[in-house]
Amino acid sequence: MTAELDHKPLLTHEVGSLDKPGWRVKAYAGKPLDDKDLEEARSWGERLTVPDYEKLLDLLRHAPFSKEQKTEIQRWSSLYALRLEESAGLDVVYDGEQQRTEMYDWAVNHTNGFERRGSVRAFDNKYYSKAAVIGPISLREPFHNAEFSYLVSVADAELKVPVTGAYTIADWSFDERYDVDTDLREPAVDRRRARHAARRDFVLEVSRNLIRPNLQALIGVGARWIQVDEPGASTEADELDLFVDSFNASVEGLDATFSTHLCFSDYNLFFPAIERMSQCRQYAVGFANYDSRELGTSDEKRPGYQVIKKFRDLSFKPALGLGVLDIHSDFIESPELVRDRVLYAVKVFGDPKRIHVTPDCGLRTRSWTVAYEKLKNMTAGVELARKELGV
Amino acid sequence: MAATRGIDRGRVGADAVDQAFSDDQAAFVGVQKKAGMDFFSDGLLKWQDIFRPLMGALGIKPHTLIRWFDTNTFFREPELMGKVPTVKNPEGVVAAASVPRPRVTTLPSPYMFSRAAHADQDRNRLMVELAQRVLRPAIDAAVAGGAELIHLEDPWLGYFGIKQEDWAPLAEALQTLHHNLKATLAFHVYFGDAGPHIAQLLRLPVDAIGVDLIETDVAELGSGWEKGLVAGIINGRSSILESLDNTVEVARHLADTVRPRNLYLTSNCELGYLPTVVAEQKVLRLGEAAHKAKELVSV
Repeated sequence: MTAELDHKPLLTHEVGSLDKPGWRVKAYAGKPLDDKDLEEARSWGERLTVPDYEKLLDLLRHAPFSKEQKTEIQRWSSLYALRLEESAGLDVVYDGEQQRTEMYDWAVNHTNGFERRGSVRAFDNKYYSKAAVIGPISLREPFHNAEFSYLVSVADAELKVPVTGAYTIADWSFDERYDVDTDLREPAVDRRRARHAARRDFVLEVSRNLIRPNLQALIGVGARWIQVDEPGASTEADELDLFVDSFNASVEGLDATFSTHLCFSDYNLFFPAIERMSQCRQYAVGFANYDSRELGTSDEKRPGYQVIKKFRDLSFKPALGLGVLDIHSDFIESPELVRDRVLYAVKVFGDPKRIHVTPDCGLRTRSWTVAYEKLKNMTAGVELARKELGV
Repeated sequence: MAATRGIDRGRVGADAVDQAFSDDQAAFVGVQKKAGMDFFSDGLLKWQDIFRPLMGALGIKPHTLIRWFDTNTFFREPELMGKVPTVKNPEGVVAAASVPRPRVTTLPSPYMFSRAAHADQDRNRLMVELAQRVLRPAIDAAVAGGAELIHLEDPWLGYFGIKQEDWAPLAEALQTLHHNLKATLAFHVYFGDAGPHIAQLLRLPVDAIGVDLIETDVAELGSGWEKGLVAGIINGRSSILESLDNTVEVARHLADTVRPRNLYLTSNCELGYLPTVVAEQKVLRLGEAAHKAKELVSV
């Protein structure tokens, strides 16, 4: 059974990714490092008081790197990211997914049944890699255990593990297995029906044969809070029930706290489907991207947060991970702006323990300098809100 | 991709990005030549979304990220508050000199543009304004730059539909674009079933109507079209390569039953949802199918 979240009011946490430092990217790719990379490692090591960071500098000066050394460099990158989040004052942290290639690619690369096809544009000049499902899906090996076990050994703050969800993995993949009929002379209605049935089979097979066994493995090494990332959840407006079924099939009966992350969607679409998602104890949702930058706690000043009333009214009383940082902009939200977004949410929910405070999404598209400033202001804004609420 | 990522992170200069675009465009043109395309596209490789060059020409900064229909692609919502200014220099829509002629230029349809924008005025009035002040100048620039086919894409109509009262303003907006145009104007509905709209679509003042045959029943297209048919027979959202024989059969079926004034074979939507290597295979397959279909028709 999914465990309840019992945290202090206005708990703060990250959502997932951070950018990877140049030294980590180049070292892993076998590219030469320059003085700028070493300075980046030195200055952030010093700034974040990363213990023994001089050892990393020494390691980086001795390219080329063996496979073991590359693994060590990835772990340094994890440690830096962890310290960045802890130093910014977050209550719950992870490592910005420093040891993963990317949230989708990492998952399918540890899975049987998929084959890479290439990259496509997501937005602006950002691309993501896509694979096609070509055969039976199964977990090749648990793919978060090693990073989690390492982070447990070095984290001071509580950990929450982000895991890409089944619906998103299926949605971001090409289907070359379940729906292969392309005869356009067949009636369109028959082709559509076959496509929907194939889609359901695909998504639920990912839930049962990939996500669930990977979650079980993570719980086996001690993970207590797992965030199922579903940025693709609302892609198909008529598949919200399938998204909910996939979440339930992934977590049902497992002993951990499960939450989910949703972003860049019309969140109204999720209702009423997510009323059947009672095992989800927290929804971390991006709102700041849709909000104004004006101060204030009225409905008019907080247009991006109007939908939160629907999350409040869910009968199983989940917490809301309130996105307060726009992750697609270098604009640094002031503590006062964060405070007002939080106070507005508390006013709507009436219970500050049901409000957690987060960025809209992973911060991987921002530089570490920007991400750090944003996160520091987020925690400062939460402190202002706590003070105002007396909690 | 690597170059644009590099410039975003300050790791490469603008020259490297320009060179990468130029190389990619040359490669895409090469594929189109090999496929025997009748019209050449620059692939819109520099366009970060379908509105971006036009918004750039209007001097409007990109706004909120919005999901592009039911895809994992996002666009920046065009921010069009108040009266729409007239575009002065829409060079961003004109293909580079290296793209062979005749060329096809793809632009957002005025209906989709007016609905996707963040705006504070009546959508139909906005649609007509966009046609007059933004799209017509852009089309004129494209035609002056060698475009002979103007392809207006409209997934909005396919995906969300259209109200009865919106057809007349749409016709008015399209008339603005079609009047005295020295190029073929096509209005392409995709991401949805065009079947219920065929009668109205055929009344629009354009030269050709495009349909998404992945979503639309061939049997619903009717017959004896007085316009051209832009037939989306290659699936731009699937990595499965279409069978040559089946594609040719569908093309023949369309020629025989719909009997459009002209038949244009294309993908059902843009190919940007596919990795480059898969998109190139699809372009080659499309060319192969068109070649074979032409042979069969001429026999």
